[in-house]
Amino acid sequence: MRPLGVGLVFWPELAPLLDDTDLVGVIEIEPQGFWEKLPCGNGACYRPNDGLLRNIARYPQPKLLHGVGQPVGGITRDPVDAAPSLRSAVGLLRPVWVSEHLSFNRTCRGAAITDAGFLLPPRQCPAGVFAAADNIARYGRVTGCPVAFETGVNYLQPRVDELDDGAWFAHVAEQADCGILLDLHNLWCNQRNGRERVPDVLARIPLERVWEVHLAGGMALDGYWLDAHSDAVPPELMELAAEVVPTLPNLGAIMFEILPQHLPRIGIDGVQRQLEQLAKLWALRAPNQATTTSTVHPHSAHPATAGARAKPDCDLRELAEWENGLAAAIRGDVVASCRFADLALDPGIAVYRQLIGDARRSNLTRALRYTMLLLLAHLGVDETEALLERHFTTTVPDAYAALEAEGFARFLRDQSALLAGAPHLAEVLAFEHALLRATLYAEPAELAWSNDPTKIFAALDAGRLPRGLPVARTTMRIAAH
Amino acid sequence: MISELNPQPLPPRSMERVRIYVDADVSYDLKRMNKVVANVLGKLGCGGCHSGRILEFLDMREFIVNPKTLDVEGRMGAQF
Repeated sequence: MRPLGVGLVFWPELAPLLDDTDLVGVIEIEPQGFWEKLPCGNGACYRPNDGLLRNIARYPQPKLLHGVGQPVGGITRDPVDAAPSLRSAVGLLRPVWVSEHLSFNRTCRGAAITDAGFLLPPRQCPAGVFAAADNIARYGRVTGCPVAFETGVNYLQPRVDELDDGAWFAHVAEQADCGILLDLHNLWCNQRNGRERVPDVLARIPLERVWEVHLAGGMALDGYWLDAHSDAVPPELMELAAEVVPTLPNLGAIMFEILPQHLPRIGIDGVQRQLEQLAKLWALRAPNQATTTSTVHPHSAHPATAGARAKPDCDLRELAEWENGLAAAIRGDVVASCRFADLALDPGIAVYRQLIGDARRSNLTRALRYTMLLLLAHLGVDETEALLERHFTTTVPDAYAALEAEGFARFLRDQSALLAGAPHLAEVLAFEHALLRATLYAEPAELAWSNDPTKIFAALDAGRLPRGLPVARTTMRIAAH
Repeated sequence: MISELNPQPLPPRSMERVRIYVDADVSYDLKRMNKVVANVLGKLGCGGCHSGRILEFLDMREFIVNPKTLDVEGRMGAQF
């Protein structure tokens, strides 16, 4: 694959570094992070943020597109047609290649497709290989780009009835005839959490298919090491990467991942130092590296699709049982499948439950910021968490913050005693709910305030309950155009 | 009398669609109001799409004033 250099996964907070093309040689974009999901007719549609993508496209560095919403490891496809938005992103960014996760994030029960709330590990079996290869071929057709899959994190314990991690990645890559995004932090997490050792995984996968390496830092939770993109790359992992990079003849990029929420931990200077370390890794590439695009290109011959079709006994029931069973275990429901009933006993289930809850709470924090601040200030942490839990146990997650928040806003609207007892909560909730509904449904609203709302928000921005504000009745109109 | 808040600080897509009109006889802090709206509408994308822990709610809850001491309990690195 074409050698691009080292770079960053794009976040607006990292923009100060992007003008330095010596430091950042390639920019990777996760487009779904900037999409909105909107109700459309009886279903939904995605609204991409083309304005932002056009701005990113102006940077002179080559681009990569890294999908985080339509993973290729499962059998339940996104019920929302993502193809137009993906094609639009490709058209604007002209990525050298695209990648997606070898995970699943939705399950299908009857006619209902449910968001799992997180990227979950797929069933590592022969049927899963063919399903993944089929998905990867489709992804290549949609985007018109070479496709690589990301080697995923897996917080479950290894199973005797599954392909080991190295064999799983190898079979998918060969069957799909595609590239590999080698996420070394993911593999390192897996090793630390009891799965296959990184050297053993690397011994099994076709290293010539590795186009890209991801490096990141993580954090501990209940004895697990999480792929949290929350810190600098641990020194041990950096040393491991230095051993691995020279063995990758088609390596095209080494990327550092950090989420903007965690940027204050290392600062923009810390990111710069990470990039400088990645540049040293980049210099370790094998001298006889290939510099042209490899033959693996998913839409050149579609071998994966052909292979999947040729497989007569591709057992999709096994995959469906796994995906529904894992989702049920995480919800705390009975696992209907006998062969996967033991999933409920895996200690990693509690980790996924925690992470999905964190993701949902964070979505609400983003889209109902002031309502959440008021709840925390009025009820305290424990009661607020209990309130959230009551809502979560009766609803399914939505990865998109606006829809998740709109559901919680409707739930809160029915809590009349709470609204009556918490000063300003009803007004703040009505305001944020109106903003969400204007965004989602283009619905106008007229709101009444008993005080100057900016004073209420100022108090909340300072972490205080608004108290003793002078009465100032006013109205506000929210319009959607 | 109604005046329109300047929507400039809003995120690219939302600002094309959502506008807020307020009574002109109340002395709104318009800059703060725009920041408030941007805070709410600026982060509506796909949030839970990586494989680690997202700490925004934890940061927020630790930021809130302790009702007993009235001290703001900031958390290092928090965005609030």
